[in-house]
Amino acid sequence: MDQNSLLEKWLNNTLSDTEMEAFQELDDYLFYKDIVEDASRFKASSFSAVADFDALRKRLPQKTPRVRKLSSRHWLLRIASVFVIGFALYYFFLFGTDVSVVTLVGQKTTIELPDASVVVLNALSEIEYSKKGWVNNKSLNLIGEAFFDVTKGATFDVITPSGTVTVVGTEFNVKHRGTAFEVACYEGIVQVTSGQYSEELREGDRLRLSDGKIYVGKTTYHSPQWTRNISDFQQIPFLEVIEELERQYHIKVILKEVPKETLFTGGFVHNHLENALRSIAEPMDLDFEITHNNEVTLIKREN
Amino acid sequence: MTKELHENVCDEIIFKGLYNKYAAELHDYLYYKYGEQCNPKDKAQDAFIKLWENCKKVLLTTARGFLYKVASNMVLNDIKHQKVVLRYQQEKPQAHTIENPEFLMEKEQYFKMYQQALAKLSEDQRVAFMLNKVEGKKHEEIAQLIGVTRKVVEYRIYSAFSILKTELENFRIK
Repeated sequence: MDQNSLLEKWLNNTLSDTEMEAFQELDDYLFYKDIVEDASRFKASSFSAVADFDALRKRLPQKTPRVRKLSSRHWLLRIASVFVIGFALYYFFLFGTDVSVVTLVGQKTTIELPDASVVVLNALSEIEYSKKGWVNNKSLNLIGEAFFDVTKGATFDVITPSGTVTVVGTEFNVKHRGTAFEVACYEGIVQVTSGQYSEELREGDRLRLSDGKIYVGKTTYHSPQWTRNISDFQQIPFLEVIEELERQYHIKVILKEVPKETLFTGGFVHNHLENALRSIAEPMDLDFEITHNNEVTLIKREN
Repeated sequence: MTKELHENVCDEIIFKGLYNKYAAELHDYLYYKYGEQCNPKDKAQDAFIKLWENCKKVLLTTARGFLYKVASNMVLNDIKHQKVVLRYQQEKPQAHTIENPEFLMEKEQYFKMYQQALAKLSEDQRVAFMLNKVEGKKHEEIAQLIGVTRKVVEYRIYSAFSILKTELENFRIK
């Protein structure tokens, strides 16, 4: 057996007795032996060691789950107990996550996820995900509304307090405001899960879960209107329209005898308050008045 | 039964046991791979903190692998790969023999050379070699920790040794 083979076996500790004898006969035997033995001079524990457990214990975070209150704007917090899973997800919302992006009133922002997927965040929304854990656990938490353009082949979960959306290389919009949960798919397929309910949406489908009721409909747009600075609604309770208006503009809306539950179909722009107000007041037969401290009053017209 | 295993890591007594068992070896692994500068003491502890935070999601049987993966990722995000220069223990001058200065100097040069040779090894080679030859870990064990096959570990040790052999050529006993 040649020298290299003996050396290999010696390093693997697989030399037979006879082979060992042969190895020890080599000229370089002592040289090799010294190299291995002298390595011990570099032993880690001679120079550095971890502290004991007590030192670690002081650094361990407390195990009580943090309960975060939803931002208090004019949203009525009607958290339906129907979505029990929402609570479980809610507790793990801020657990071990890394990156947090928050938008304020009237603000939109675009971010890129580690897999090159793009997320556009609407006003007063927040997403959180773990950058480091992204490889093993691709999920992010969302409160509010965001549009997702997912890299082909990439798959991850969007978790909201009301339900989870699982995607594979698609474009879709997720909206979670108050207790209303809406998902619209613009490309590909998404899977929406909320409690026991699960639905698959394809291109052009939209789904809305609100107060325990499910609405399935269609959308003809190729991406959500709000990304083009227009908010658009189809059969949405008027109160939600008002809430979105307050999110896009820095205003407080006072309603006088205005039917909040009436279903509204229409839209408003994000960059011109008067036009926006006109767009929603006219169809609802309302008058509006803007006072100087960013307050708007909507009153039912007298006929 | 599986549910119990899940919750076990969150049990402080079990968690402490994991620490006492794996903290030192995890520290050594980081030390050999990235050197003292990566702050292996803190990184090893940080990995355990991460384990604690995720204790509900990690099975007791996979905790060790989790720790190694997390620790590696943490360091990778930190350092820009600097050369890893490991310290070595100086020869203690023997009281009863008089070593001639030339001999001591040669020994010093030898270890300096060895130190540089170790720095020339790739991280993977250095880790495999040190864990096997200095810490006495078997090839199979190292393979599991790092997430490669035993053959890969053997190959890395062989490559490491070849480089050391070449670098220390001049100090071969004539």
